[in-house]
Amino acid sequence: MSAAMTQPLLKIDNLRTYFYARSKQSFVRAVDGVSLEVGQRETVGVVGESGSGKSITAMSVMGLIGAGPGVIGGSIHYASHRVKKNLLEGLENFIDIETENGRVMKVRKNESGWQHASERLMSDLRGKEIAMIFQNPRASLNPYITVGEQITEAVRLHTACKSAKEARERALYWLEQVKMDSPRLRFNAYPSAMSGGMCQRVMIAMALSSEPSLLIADEPTTGLDATIQSKIIELLEELKQDTGISTLLISHDIGVISRLSDRVAVMYGGAVVEYGSAQSVLDINAAIKHPYTAALLASVPSEQKIHEKANLQTIEGDVLDTINVPPGCRFHARCNQVTPEIREKCASHHPELIEVAPGHQMRCWRFVS
Amino acid sequence: MQNVKTYSQTNIEVGQFSQLPLRQKYAIADLLYVAYGLLIVALVLVSYILGMFDLLPHDPQQIHMDMLLAPPASNGYLLGTDFMGRDILSRLIMGIQAYFLPGLLAISIALTGGVVLGILAGYCDRKTETMITYFTNLVDSFPRLVLILLVIAAFKPDIYYIMVVMGITGVPAVATAIANKIRYLAHKNFIEAAVALGLRTRVIIFKHILWYNCRALLIIQATLGMGEAILLETSLSYLGFGVQEPMPSWGNMVQSGANYFLQGNFWPSTAPALAILFTILGFNLLGDGLNNILEDRRGR
Repeated sequence: MSAAMTQPLLKIDNLRTYFYARSKQSFVRAVDGVSLEVGQRETVGVVGESGSGKSITAMSVMGLIGAGPGVIGGSIHYASHRVKKNLLEGLENFIDIETENGRVMKVRKNESGWQHASERLMSDLRGKEIAMIFQNPRASLNPYITVGEQITEAVRLHTACKSAKEARERALYWLEQVKMDSPRLRFNAYPSAMSGGMCQRVMIAMALSSEPSLLIADEPTTGLDATIQSKIIELLEELKQDTGISTLLISHDIGVISRLSDRVAVMYGGAVVEYGSAQSVLDINAAIKHPYTAALLASVPSEQKIHEKANLQTIEGDVLDTINVPPGCRFHARCNQVTPEIREKCASHHPELIEVAPGHQMRCWRFVS
Repeated sequence: MQNVKTYSQTNIEVGQFSQLPLRQKYAIADLLYVAYGLLIVALVLVSYILGMFDLLPHDPQQIHMDMLLAPPASNGYLLGTDFMGRDILSRLIMGIQAYFLPGLLAISIALTGGVVLGILAGYCDRKTETMITYFTNLVDSFPRLVLILLVIAAFKPDIYYIMVVMGITGVPAVATAIANKIRYLAHKNFIEAAVALGLRTRVIIFKHILWYNCRALLIIQATLGMGEAILLETSLSYLGFGVQEPMPSWGNMVQSGANYFLQGNFWPSTAPALAILFTILGFNLLGDGLNNILEDRRGR
């Protein structure tokens, strides 16, 4: 295939997004060195517990980080057949970082300059090239505007359908595509008159109406009923097949991730700890397995466990304190696979993301030979 | 009596809300409020036009020494005459002249100033916000009446000066309300979703926030402002600083008529007092009803 096909659509490299806790006078390292790739026509699932930096990664890609210091480093290369650029191009000029022993101690940022430059970079991409759907779909629709009008607005903004009538037809078409029942009747309804699942369908219709190359789905099924969840997943599965859209799927639900993803990235404490094809990462019996992924998979209730009425396995300890990040591996305090040989290394040095098998990367001292 | 409620099925399909008859869409009370309010607004408008073209039953300035304090419905004077024998009905109609344009001026100053400052305070950085907050607090900290008396002392008791001051003192309330609304909405998911959709900030502010989320608030401020303008003029008339004789206004009519009230000649002050009562009631009910109707359809 041509070079364009082999080049990933989205390549996040060493992304760092920090926040500042004024009361503690210290940085919250929400995303600390995330590297990810989303290929053409590929779905990449990002999984991890709350606070692992999944959503912040997505928001950073969209340029939606409002609080300071925000995105302070890294690059996000985006390359569709229409647009090729680094979404953080030149933004480092507005940021001055002082480090001490490799740790960021001081950030000076020209907020308005950064914001303007970021807006310029993102203005022709947001909604048009990269669309996003959120968790809590009901709150993501303007309660004062009918859903039809909201989709029409998106259509007129991003496609060649400029006349009101044409755009309405197009909006109706998308409502049909997302399998809304009786779309013509729902067209003039307000979001308050719809269920959460229907609102999510509207959100998906809105996102897809501009025919974007990349869809970022930030916890698309959270907050919905279990039956609605599986229907939304089915819909996303079908749309993926029909339109061939690339998706960055963010969820804490391994079930959702495993049904939709081609590749999976497991995040912990603001960094990717394991990254590879969905089969190899989510296979509970695989020989090579990051301890965190293993613990995550073990804590999912399986049919067998429910049958045996066995206790669910939990991961001991709390989510990583992203303010006082310990020097060693971020997971070592909760890790149950630390061996005496590597204990010291785990506590003092942060492991690199290395390739343990072709296309399978891991951040763990156990697999460093 | 038992609390029995009836629920009947109307044969309309989902989503056909816009085609429903008005009566089924909104509460009867709200429709009545709005109808009454619109009636008052229409009356005010008609009176304004009549006054402007001098289409009055009598000359409002004409003094009839032989007809002092004539009771209502005497000799062609429908509402009687006042202490100088001037026709009260004509003066009532003419009185609208004193409020209409000045009131609109006050409302438009309060709304435009409030909207501009509110958007700046709600959307710009902290420094701008602090400056605007200081300004609005400063304006708010002066008692309105004192400020007006100062302006009257410095210039002259002109209704336009008074209304400009009223407009400026009305700015903080609108600005704070808009800024709060913007700040409250800016963290709402649907605004974030609109940003992610690629909508320009301008469109988000004016269409999604101001038009769809603040229009009820602005309408209420406008209708309340008109009522307030009339009330303010009335209270200033009592101090003798309102519209000056011989130019009629409802305020100075009540004031001058009050001297004869206890002598049994109630009509010179009662007629303008009732006019004030029903007009202000009309404006307030209009605002209330419109608010309920516009807010009714939003989600909770």
